[in-house]
Amino acid sequence: MKKLSWLILLLALPALTRAQDVKIPPDVEKLSAKAKETVEVTMDGPMLRWASKFLSADDPDEAKAAKLVANLKGIYVRSYEFDEEGAYTAAEIESLRSQVHGPGWTRVVGVRSEHDGDNVDVFFKLENEKMAGIVIIAAEPKELTFVNIVGPLEVDQLADLGGEFGVPKLDQKTLPRSQPKAQGDHK
Amino acid sequence: MSVDKDTSRLEDALKIALRRQQPPDEFADRVLARAITKESGKPASRLPWLRIFTRPIFAQPVVRWATAAALVAALVGGGIYHRHVQRQRAEGEAAKQQLILALRIAGSKLQLAKSKVQHVQDQTENQEEKE
Repeated sequence: MKKLSWLILLLALPALTRAQDVKIPPDVEKLSAKAKETVEVTMDGPMLRWASKFLSADDPDEAKAAKLVANLKGIYVRSYEFDEEGAYTAAEIESLRSQVHGPGWTRVVGVRSEHDGDNVDVFFKLENEKMAGIVIIAAEPKELTFVNIVGPLEVDQLADLGGEFGVPKLDQKTLPRSQPKAQGDHK
Repeated sequence: MSVDKDTSRLEDALKIALRRQQPPDEFADRVLARAITKESGKPASRLPWLRIFTRPIFAQPVVRWATAAALVAALVGGGIYHRHVQRQRAEGEAAKQQLILALRIAGSKLQLAKSKVQHVQDQTENQEEKE
């Protein structure tokens, strides 16, 4: 009986490990059929290492990017641009958000804007008080973007992204560390 | 007296040694043949590695063909490897562009989040100032 429970645990282990990963729900993947423009980037660890080999060390921007990518385990991006509003449902967005409700995940930014309809969520995954990943869900009227960066990512490394390829410098004063703070005209 | 005798003996010996002699009949032919061999051997001395093809082992047609085949195989192999490297480089460049695109999108969405938070903070500060 004891052996059997060990066997079940061993068989379930990969599934449990996978359950911690952020997956893109199939319903969201299907949105590419409706989209005017689709960007899908799936780069796991080895692919990132390989791609980073082609980043030029002479180019300061690319050199910084290579340094950042060196510690990452994966970058996953899905971005859909639609001709008209209402191409995706609130349930589809919620299915994305539900992926980052597990232990270790903290929503650092949650914006709901009735004014322009932009909804943005930024989640950090913390492991031993260090950032281990970031998820960004940006739902705009005609655009839906999901970004998942997996791996040990120091906040200063994230700030180093500032200005590179249009990535902003994150002002830590404006990025609350734990609770969603966006208010005002946002619901 | 004995000195004179010795001197005449030496003179006789020298006379015998230095007397005019006719060369053998084939001497001129041998000199000419050697001169021709030296002249024809000049290019070979410039490229000594080519001498390997004049050695008996390369004189055999099988060995010559095998050598040619090996050279052709090396050239073809080199060409295939070169194309493989070029293809890998192209794929790597494409992967790099994908990576840069992913970082650009992540950056622009972070920018959006930041601007929204900044907007909310500005509004809150304005409200506080009014109060």
